[in-house]
Amino acid sequence: MKLFQNTSNFEYPWEQVSTANWNKYPNEVSTHVIAVDVLRRELSKTDPNVLITERLITVKQGVPKWIMYLIGAGDNTSYVREVSTVNKKDKTLVLKSCNLTMCNILKVFETVKYSPHPMDPINKTLFEQEAQITAYGGSLGRICSKMEDWSINRFCENAKKGKIGFESVLKEFHEKLKSKVDDLDLDLDLDLDLDFDLSSTSNLIVNKMNDAMEDVKSTATSMFKETEKKCSILSDYYDLFIDTFEKDLHQQKN
Amino acid sequence: MGNIMSSSFAPECTELKTKYDDCFNEWYSEKFLKGKSVENECSKEWYAYSTCIDAALVKQGIKPALDEARKEAPFENGASCKVLKKVRTNIDIELGAFIIIK
Repeated sequence: MKLFQNTSNFEYPWEQVSTANWNKYPNEVSTHVIAVDVLRRELSKTDPNVLITERLITVKQGVPKWIMYLIGAGDNTSYVREVSTVNKKDKTLVLKSCNLTMCNILKVFETVKYSPHPMDPINKTLFEQEAQITAYGGSLGRICSKMEDWSINRFCENAKKGKIGFESVLKEFHEKLKSKVDDLDLDLDLDLDLDFDLSSTSNLIVNKMNDAMEDVKSTATSMFKETEKKCSILSDYYDLFIDTFEKDLHQQKN
Repeated sequence: MGNIMSSSFAPECTELKTKYDDCFNEWYSEKFLKGKSVENECSKEWYAYSTCIDAALVKQGIKPALDEARKEAPFENGASCKVLKKVRTNIDIELGAFIIIK
């Protein structure tokens, strides 16, 4: 059995990450995922804050010829079952998945957890991933070990792709949310007497304002830093400039 | 959110899936997360989509492997795996034996 672990951050609030999770695929990077289906979805009977979802993920990817030969498979389509648990009170999203195809030969158990980042719980999300890869084969120990190695490498590659792919979905999602707010903003200007949920609209507007403020703040900070840097470069060379300038003037006078 | 939705593993279910996904995404972000709904809505869309999927799972021969996985990691407890326990037991036995030998 081999273990793979990985931790990283997403620069988006947990609510957005957990919402985007349902639309993670398709994305331009993780092209090996060709379909995602919901098989079962229920609110927990004991806790209404908990939503459990079972999904079937259809994957098409190149498996080495020798593995295909060993297991006598002709098709490279495989299925993964994933059960995810959202706890909106604790703000956690835990996804547990396992391959359905070839699972008597090779089993990959993956656990992913998204939670608010402890250093910045409002704006950032912590991503923790763990996978256990086991190849079964009794006396075929060396082959199993080789298969585990190949799987770990492939898993590592896909984990990287997954991160980049999800980033692109999150970005798109974030922009859509912003443009939705813009639309609502416009609606509010045009039809003041329209009957719609004012509290959620004003919430969105406040969020939008906050976003805008954040943008201004970060731009200002980076501009300030940039200016500071330029200033310090200039001050470093200040004496040199003055020297050269004075020399020039001197020469011209003569 | 108007995002490009993923297709279904069964092409004949993709349209029903899109309708259900649209409804669910709206419910999830606007109601569930905001604490405005304690009920999983979209039941009409869900019924149509899941009926289609259930038939396709049988037709494409995925059902047996799925049932096996469901037994191993039940939906109800968020699919905590039994294999992990098995590994743990082996270690426990080895540890036990070790302690006895000592």
